[in-house]
Amino acid sequence: MIDIKRDVFEIIKNGINDKTIQINDDTELIGDGSVLDSMKLVELCLALEDFAEEKGFDFDWTSDQAMSRSRSMFRTAGSLLSEFKNQMATQK
Amino acid sequence: MIIVTGSSRGLGLAICKRLDSLGLDVFGLSRDVSNADFPSMSCDISSYDEVKKVVLTLKKKNKKISGLVNAAGIASMNLAVTTPPSVSQKIIQTNLLGTIFCCQLIAPLIIRNKGGSIMNFSTIAVSLGLKGESVYTASKAGVEGFTRSFAREMADFNINVNCIAPGPIDTNLLKGITTNQIHKIVSQQVIPKQFSPSAVCDLVELLLDDRSNSLSGQVLHVGGA
Repeated sequence: MIDIKRDVFEIIKNGINDKTIQINDDTELIGDGSVLDSMKLVELCLALEDFAEEKGFDFDWTSDQAMSRSRSMFRTAGSLLSEFKNQMATQK
Repeated sequence: MIIVTGSSRGLGLAICKRLDSLGLDVFGLSRDVSNADFPSMSCDISSYDEVKKVVLTLKKKNKKISGLVNAAGIASMNLAVTTPPSVSQKIIQTNLLGTIFCCQLIAPLIIRNKGGSIMNFSTIAVSLGLKGESVYTASKAGVEGFTRSFAREMADFNINVNCIAPGPIDTNLLKGITTNQIHKIVSQQVIPKQFSPSAVCDLVELLLDDRSNSLSGQVLHVGGA
């Protein structure tokens, strides 16, 4: 699971223009303090879809089920990681 | 590949046939695909889960999606005060939410293609505010508003999103409307004549062509309004 955290945070970091920013659990992905613009957020979702496919599951970033579990999985890097791991565990 | 919803009849079927005749890779979606002459899949677009299933199938096939034509729609001609709530809900669920579900779930496939064109369908009834079509008009006005905003969201991804708004075209949707009523509506168009499904197909062809890539967020009225 440590590898998953490293990989997901790496994917988030790849989408940020400012490479000096360190990604941690509290890094905001949406809202005023967000490190991503809307275009980068969509690209992040597609990158996570690809990564999930490599891991053998389908990453769902729009359904009621996915969103209700985490309010918004995109609040922070930590909440996104948590939802990603949750989906990986339930689908495998 | 170009995905067309409402592919079993009316404008959707005409569009599929036209694109197929041009040698384009067409994929139809409709509730009934038993008589389709082109690749199709059964899908009730008013169901988010059914649209999602289609997307997962297309992803597995590794198909490159460059276009989406949201032609599926239903109508019920009723005064608002005599429209049962179940009918209102069905119209909004299919025309507005169905269009939104297809756009939000299929757009990521077009983003992966590095661009393309999305066409939604409205109606001249939105501009004219036609009597007896309040709920239908409300659903299509929603589609127009959605199209304008969604076009901005997709612009960064090289995807053009437009809305085609025909006047009365000779399809099943006009069942139950008298010739007099049709003439009355047609007479209010800028070009006061009833157009055929072929005119709508021409517009779809135009919007799929790279030469129209400066157009996005627009509502294009067949016949003018």
